[in-house]
Amino acid sequence: MHEVSIIQSVIEIVTKQALDNNLTKINNVSLRIGELSGVMPESLEFAFESCIKGTMLEESTLNMEIISALGECKECNLEFPIEHFNKLCPSCNKFCTNISRGYELYINTIEGD
Amino acid sequence: MSEIKVVANILHTNEEITSQNKRLLNEKGIYVINMMSSPGSGKTSLLEKIISKLKDRIRIAVIEGDLYTTKDAERIEAQGVPVVQINTGGACHLDGKMIKGALDSLNLDNVDLLVIENVGNLVCPAAFELGEDIKITVLSTTEGNDKPLKYPRMFENSGAIILNKMDLLELTNFDKAEFYKDINSLNALATIFETSCVKDPDQGIDELCSWLSQQVNINSQFNKACI
Repeated sequence: MHEVSIIQSVIEIVTKQALDNNLTKINNVSLRIGELSGVMPESLEFAFESCIKGTMLEESTLNMEIISALGECKECNLEFPIEHFNKLCPSCNKFCTNISRGYELYINTIEGD
Repeated sequence: MSEIKVVANILHTNEEITSQNKRLLNEKGIYVINMMSSPGSGKTSLLEKIISKLKDRIRIAVIEGDLYTTKDAERIEAQGVPVVQINTGGACHLDGKMIKGALDSLNLDNVDLLVIENVGNLVCPAAFELGEDIKITVLSTTEGNDKPLKYPRMFENSGAIILNKMDLLELTNFDKAEFYKDINSLNALATIFETSCVKDPDQGIDELCSWLSQQVNINSQFNKACI
C-alpha cells in the first residue's frame, strides 16, 4: 500500500519539473525501479491511475523499467545476478555486501507539452 | 512535445527530512531503533520487557506508530517512560515527517535510547527511512519460518532480527534451521536473538538487553569523540 505514497511523491516531483520547464500537460512519466526496491510495479500502476486524476498528469502514461539486481563478490570478484534477495555468491558461497544495482527507485524522464 | 531528463530519487523528500531527524538525534547523542514486524509478533511486549530491565540505567523514550489506537502507547506509558503516539489514520507505515513531528514533543536532552515502534506491517515500513541508527525486525515463531523469504526487504536491511515466542516453538511447525539458512542468504550480517517474553521466566531478554545497552554505550562514546 506504500505505493500510493510513492506515486504521490512522483506527482509532486513531476509537477515541479513541468512548471520549471514551462509544460502545461504531461504525456508520459518513465520510472526506473530496481528489483530490490520493494516496490510492486502492478501496485504502482494502480496507484498512478487513481492518483493522477485532477493533476497535470491526468492523461499521462506510466512507463516502468525494471532493473535487475546484481552483486559483485568481494572475495572472488564474480559478478552475479541476485535472485530473490539471495546474496550468497554462487561461486564461493560468501555473503555479498557489494550490490551494484537493484535498489533504484527514481524518475528517469518525463514527456509533455 | 518535449522530453525532460529528470533523474530524481522518488523518496527524496522523505530522505531529506530523515537526514534532518538524524542530524538532530546525533547531536543529542541518542541511539535510535526503528522496530518493525507484522502485527502481533510481540513488539510491544518485548519493549515492555526491555524498558523494565533497562530504564534504571538508560533513559528511554518511545514513539508509537499505530493506525488508530493508543493501546500500545498506554502500555508503554505504564512503564514510566516518555511516549509519543503517532496515529497514521490508516496509513501503512511511518515516514520521516511523522517522526519529525513526534520529536518536537519529546525532551531530547533527557534521552539515550529512542525506540520507534513502527506500524505492524511486514511490507511497507521497510521502504521508509526514519533517521534511525538501526532497524530491528521481530518475527514470531507462530508466523512461520517462510516469512523472511516472503517479505525479504524488511529482513535484508535489518541490523538485528529477533525471533520471538520461542516458548511456543514446539507447538508450531517453525523450522529453525530453514530460518537461519534463509536469513544467511538475505542478510548474513544481522545479529539474531531468540526470545520469549510473556511466559515466566522470559528467554533471551537479558542477552538482548545487554547487547542493546552496549549499542547505546558505543553510540554515546562515538558522539563524545565527535564533539
